[in-house]
Amino acid sequence: MSRAWKSPATARDATSTPLAVQQALPFVEPAPLVNPLVLTPTPVQRLWFCIWLPGLPLEASRSSDDAMAIVEEQQGIHRVLLADAKAQSAGVMAGQSANAALALLPTLQLEERSLQREQQALEALATWLERFSSFVCIADRDVLLLEIAGSLRLFGGLRPLREKISNGLRQHGFDASLAIAPTPLGATWLARAGRRVCIRDERNLKRALRLLPLASLNWPEGLCASLTGMGVTTISDCLRLPREGFVRRFGAEHMLELDRALGHLPDPRNSWRAPERFCADCEMAEETSDRELLLNICRELLLSHEQFLLARQLGTQRLCFSFFHLKGPATEFHLGCARADRSAERWLELLRIRFDQLVLPRPVIATRLQSGMTQALQAESACLNFHTANDRPARRYSIAQLAERLIARIGEQSVHSMTLIAEHRPQYAWRAQSLLSDWASSTLSEFRRHLRRPLWMLPEPALLPADSGYPLHQGERLRLLEGPERLETGWWDEDGISRDYYTAVNLAGIRLWIFRNRSRPSCWYLHGYFG
Amino acid sequence: MSSSLDKLLENPRVWRGSHQVQRKAGLASGYPELDRCLPGGGWPTEALTEILTEQYGIGELRLLMPALARLSAEDPQSDYSEPGWIAWVAPPFQPYPPALQQCGIDLSRMLIVRPKSSGEILWSAEQALSSGTCAAVLFWAEALDDQASRRLQLAAEKGHSWAVAFRPMLARQQPSAAALRLELHSTAQGTRVHIVKSRGGRPTVLTKLL
Repeated sequence: MSRAWKSPATARDATSTPLAVQQALPFVEPAPLVNPLVLTPTPVQRLWFCIWLPGLPLEASRSSDDAMAIVEEQQGIHRVLLADAKAQSAGVMAGQSANAALALLPTLQLEERSLQREQQALEALATWLERFSSFVCIADRDVLLLEIAGSLRLFGGLRPLREKISNGLRQHGFDASLAIAPTPLGATWLARAGRRVCIRDERNLKRALRLLPLASLNWPEGLCASLTGMGVTTISDCLRLPREGFVRRFGAEHMLELDRALGHLPDPRNSWRAPERFCADCEMAEETSDRELLLNICRELLLSHEQFLLARQLGTQRLCFSFFHLKGPATEFHLGCARADRSAERWLELLRIRFDQLVLPRPVIATRLQSGMTQALQAESACLNFHTANDRPARRYSIAQLAERLIARIGEQSVHSMTLIAEHRPQYAWRAQSLLSDWASSTLSEFRRHLRRPLWMLPEPALLPADSGYPLHQGERLRLLEGPERLETGWWDEDGISRDYYTAVNLAGIRLWIFRNRSRPSCWYLHGYFG
Repeated sequence: MSSSLDKLLENPRVWRGSHQVQRKAGLASGYPELDRCLPGGGWPTEALTEILTEQYGIGELRLLMPALARLSAEDPQSDYSEPGWIAWVAPPFQPYPPALQQCGIDLSRMLIVRPKSSGEILWSAEQALSSGTCAAVLFWAEALDDQASRRLQLAAEKGHSWAVAFRPMLARQQPSAAALRLELHSTAQGTRVHIVKSRGGRPTVLTKLL
């Protein structure tokens, strides 16, 4: 029979598998034979890092420092599933009824197991782990898998990576059992058995797995019991059984699991992908108006936001904080920055600038942070520090950072740059350009140089009083120096003009740019100063 | 006798006109007559310059344009980094881009900031000055007390930026930490520039400048 195998090693092992088992595999389709060169590519060495969280039910709901236990309903009775160290030292054990546990320790806090909360904690952890590997997988209710072969070089080898992950887990408050193996199932079983091992070569995997007790396989209890009854207690005992008989009695499923764990069969996994927009809440036990406390909460939210974006190499330009009150609508608070960014430091700096001006009508009970559209982060390359040391210190921040600080304090409408537009009407010859959007350089490179234009422009032309047809400015008659320059254009839209522009000078020597409407000849307007 | 005189002169409270702290080359103003009167041969960059006028529009911008054009075109301090920006904080009217370009200013490096209160004007100016990205910061402030001017002076030094404050003529009585103080008077013959205070220089009146 012809079969497309990933590596020569697995092909050799597979041929030794009895035909009966292979026919029991409904999903392994024989692949058409093509060029043999394609069939035998260099095997990709994968390395799976397994994190088993035996205490997840407890760790996911830890809220106080008191002794605590998680209870679960089993056949109508609440039984202790997990107890923390304090409760255990008082004699509380898994399997006890809730009443027995309370009798031992009256101050014990009992909490119902919440699978939803556990899943949330697991997802949060998977999100955090995405910084270490591009392939994170939630394999089970309490198992996380990372493919780390591709990350070893970046993190400087296996040991530093392992240390980073295990320190991080401890900081997050999780007590985990870690194992590393070339197959995902192998790593999972080793972790479940509590073996802190690191197996890099597939050849050593079999030896390590052989000694594992059946309990670490997480097989159904009935199966384990009947195997134990047969005197089969370890994986090596299992492997010694005739495959055909094993499959007939216990089903192909478990035999296939063994094959996958040993690397005889491929074991594809789904990569976990966190949602692409960040939204996190922080709820407080009671209402507060303490701004320092609120700022701290915002800081926490920003830190998790940063981690979220870091794992995806994304940045965002906008953030929205919502402060919820017990009564009345939530207070919303938007922040924007010029360049997409994720740094919590920078967002916090912007938040601080604006936070003083924030009016909170009522005390706050919960805070939510929502990120705007994310975008791929463009890293800025810094220049080499060859010259900066001697004469000029490095810039404190770029123009984008300056702009976003100013915008944070005084509003987006009040900070802008300018660009020219090819237009004869003076008021339309330029346009304010937001600094938060991409600032394209001015499209019109050269303005007509022969035209005289004032440096100061009034936002709206000011009506000048007239004395027998001559314009007056500050009560004095103006002397016309140059002109007229006739502008008669814009008939195609609502705002057409028909004006004669003059340069005029008043008695104090100030030069003005004035015009007379051709349609109403008697009216003079001041439009700018030559400055 | 001479030793006691030396001791007296070492006292930091004694200021001597002849002794001038390191005179930095100024930024050429484009008006040779003015450059001759200014120590360093030009506008004192990395310092605060105050320009007092009776009203706006009498030539205060024309006075600065050649220097601003040079600043926006190239960065005199370094040859590899991008040229600096020019920030306008709370201008009384709209600086008109076509005219600015006629003066040779690179429009893509203009930053217009319009704060609402006088406190925000000073805050914005200080931020822009100390950021190190603005080659010049022009701001229009009605209220600028001694302390604020000192802060801005320090921010300008820190950010290697040229601070220019435009203020009404009433402010001439107030003390200021500015390195250079000019008064502009408009007359029928043209605008008269009066150098009131110049660190390391002398007060002068220039009549036929603008």
